[in-house]
Amino acid sequence: MSKSSEEVLLIVKNVKNKKTDGTLYLMGERMAWMLESKNVFNISYMYADIKAQKISPDSKEKVQLQVILHDGSANTFLFNNPRSRQTQMQDRESVKELLQQLLPKFKRKISAELEEKNRLLQEDPESFQLYKDLVVSGVITPEEFWASRAHMLPSSTSSSSSSGGKTAPAQNVGVSPAFLADIKPVTDGANGLKYNLTQDIIQSIFKTYPMVKKKHAEAVPHQVSDCEFWSRFFQSHYFHRDRHALSSEDIFTECAKNDEEVMKDEITKNVNDPLVDLTQMKDQSLEDDYRGIVDDTRTSNNVSNQAMIRRFNQHSTLVLRACTSASTGGVASENSAVEGGRKEKDSSRKSKSNEVNHVNGGVAHPTNGTSDSVEEPHRKKKRIKEKIGFEDLDDKEESEGVTLRLTQMDRYLHGPTPSSSTASASVASRLGHDDVTSEDAILSVASEVEGWGSARHMVLGSTEALSVLGELSPGGALMSGTSLQQLHQQVSPATRDEIKQNYNAMCELLRHFWSCFPVSSKSLEDKVVKMRQTLERFEMSKLAPLKEKLSQYHYAMNLTGHLEEMLRAAYLKFDAWQARRNARRP
Amino acid sequence: MDGIKTDKLESSLLIVILDTNPVWWGKKKIAQDPMTLSHCVDCLTVLANSHLMVSHNNKLAVIAAHTDISTFLYPSSQPARPDIFKLPDDGQYEVFNSVESQLRTQLKTLIEADKAQVDYMEEQSSDSLLAGAMCMALCYIHRLEKECPIGESLTARILILKGSDDCPSQYMNFMNAVFTAQKQNVVIDACILDSESGLLQQACDITGGTYLNIPQAQGLLQYLLWVFLPDPSSRSKMALPPRAQVDYRAACFCHRNLIEIGYVCSVCLSIYCSFSPICSTCQTTFKIIGPQKLVKKKIKKP
Ligand SMILES: [Zn+2]
Ligand SMILES: [Zn+2]
Repeated sequence: MSKSSEEVLLIVKNVKNKKTDGTLYLMGERMAWMLESKNVFNISYMYADIKAQKISPDSKEKVQLQVILHDGSANTFLFNNPRSRQTQMQDRESVKELLQQLLPKFKRKISAELEEKNRLLQEDPESFQLYKDLVVSGVITPEEFWASRAHMLPSSTSSSSSSGGKTAPAQNVGVSPAFLADIKPVTDGANGLKYNLTQDIIQSIFKTYPMVKKKHAEAVPHQVSDCEFWSRFFQSHYFHRDRHALSSEDIFTECAKNDEEVMKDEITKNVNDPLVDLTQMKDQSLEDDYRGIVDDTRTSNNVSNQAMIRRFNQHSTLVLRACTSASTGGVASENSAVEGGRKEKDSSRKSKSNEVNHVNGGVAHPTNGTSDSVEEPHRKKKRIKEKIGFEDLDDKEESEGVTLRLTQMDRYLHGPTPSSSTASASVASRLGHDDVTSEDAILSVASEVEGWGSARHMVLGSTEALSVLGELSPGGALMSGTSLQQLHQQVSPATRDEIKQNYNAMCELLRHFWSCFPVSSKSLEDKVVKMRQTLERFEMSKLAPLKEKLSQYHYAMNLTGHLEEMLRAAYLKFDAWQARRNARRP
Repeated sequence: MDGIKTDKLESSLLIVILDTNPVWWGKKKIAQDPMTLSHCVDCLTVLANSHLMVSHNNKLAVIAAHTDISTFLYPSSQPARPDIFKLPDDGQYEVFNSVESQLRTQLKTLIEADKAQVDYMEEQSSDSLLAGAMCMALCYIHRLEKECPIGESLTARILILKGSDDCPSQYMNFMNAVFTAQKQNVVIDACILDSESGLLQQACDITGGTYLNIPQAQGLLQYLLWVFLPDPSSRSKMALPPRAQVDYRAACFCHRNLIEIGYVCSVCLSIYCSFSPICSTCQTTFKIIGPQKLVKKKIKKP
């Protein structure tokens, strides 16, 4: 069934566009229109760009088909077969049918997941061909196609892909709860109704009612045609609200029975939350202030109403289930069931009547007593545990991690082989005593130590001392690179003078300050306080500006450091003295 | 300076670690090198006494880093033998005398033990247990700091007098000791008597100490007094030898060579000087392709 994208699927002549005659082509991926006389397409629309098609009502004289694009623009084709209006209709019908089949396949998917799939297909021609062969031609559904290719889809949302193992399936697209209500039947003039089923709606029905899907697979096309199936579906009581009479011939009878079972199952599974007593729930507000109906005595005995509400609930349940069911693996199923159950309760609460609860409760109780009695305490326990357990209060479980298997651990503990070993060896060999054994060495030291007395030796000769001092003085062998000898060259004579003046001034002040200690008389006391103030003033008015100025020269050395240190020493002395004096005086 | 210190009792603890490796010292003696153990101990005694003389509060400890043991030479754990311990007859300060006599006694015991064992000994390595001695020093410092009464403060530093070669097998212990010292604000100084020590260079650089390889053995005392006697806090005010550039290169695990650029295993941090597809320490396989080996150009012989 392989077909190239340019394979022409349908050619319709006598199609007018903007009042000029031409031919309409429907191809694998696009529709195109060509002017009569030309051999180039004047108009070409990719199916992916087409949002919808519209046809003119039969009552209208002109037989038209309008294509609406995603960007909002539209184009109308007029079918103008000169033979008869009937052929015009046929032409249009064939185009419409084909487009109806083709468009859903090319429907531009907004979701990231589908974009991803699209990208994948474009990058992998093999898969694309396969997709076209299998999916576009209708051999398998897109879900089935992608299910077998789940590994190719990088799941951007899930982190499990990074932890290795299987790629998590992409997020499942749910089903609109109103999808059935949204199918608007159109009267076809006569007594019948016409339902326009799109591929989306069909998928939604399948997703929500797996039983219908099963039936569809069974019945189509062996027993009935696709069209027949769907018309029966809509005719069937199944689709209608009251489902009392279930005729056995109807293929959907089984579906209805299955639904009953599903409903019961749903109730027993999920409506036994120990923390929620649905039977006690009333459709009323809690406070009188809100003027709610405090005493709700409304009871409905209308069986059809009850059945209707049951169906609403069931429908909601199934719609909710539709998005979780696909993702349920063995592990997740329990969770999703709980999740679904909770949601179902939400919806049942919303669904405006407490009769539901009666119904649900009524069914739930006997079943609880029988089949689930063993499972019940376990579920209850789990539910309560879930409620009272807080994740952040749990003990942190330390993951064991992977233990390193290290060989030759000692390699971490070893330093570099002394590069100097060769150097010291050379020293030894230079001295000609490389062959000295350690025994000899030890004995020699021992003999030396033995002779130790208490006599003091001359440890340092004056000549050695002098030569060492030479090495250690600025400019000496060991002092290379010291900046000290250059300092007097760095600092300009003017600055040097300024620093000298400041030194002189401050030393004089400090001399006065220190001469006050010990503070033995009142006059000295006064003087020391006064000197402290003077020193502070000096620091503010002289030292700070000098420091500021010197910082602009960026000398390697802090030239005012010593001055500041002397001041601090004086302050400390003063503070200590003052503290002691204050302590003595009550 | 003294103005600041008036109210607070500050004491400075100097711990000297002396490399007493008998093999190294013996070889020096046989080679008739001017640097002998006796000379070194003499100089050390003078330095120790000078330190004690600088301030009445100053404390001293001397640890020997021997080939098979690290032990305190001063203060010695053994009670002084009365026959050796006698009051100085020339009026010397008793503490000085006790320092000297304990130093020598302990050292003598140490070396005599070596001499007794010399016959059973296999070939002695010339390694000294420097790391062990440093750890002893740090523990001692810690103890004294704990015992230090409230209101007093103790600053401690370690001076290492080392002659023998670096010992690569002590590398990890050594570096751990150095980092501990850094954390405890203990300055490590090193006075090197023979070949340069890369490890001690790092130790001094990390802890902010002074590293000096002395050029003249005869002038040892002068170096000690000039460079190592001053407290680290007062050294900044003096014109002392500048900090040397320190070689922080790591050694590769395969050949123990110092390398500037190498390959590090991303799993176990082993260092290699050349790329290998399997880490020989943790057996991790690397799928990345290393730099392509240069194809050796065939040299045509003329
Ligand atoms: Zn290597
Ligand atoms: Zn590794």
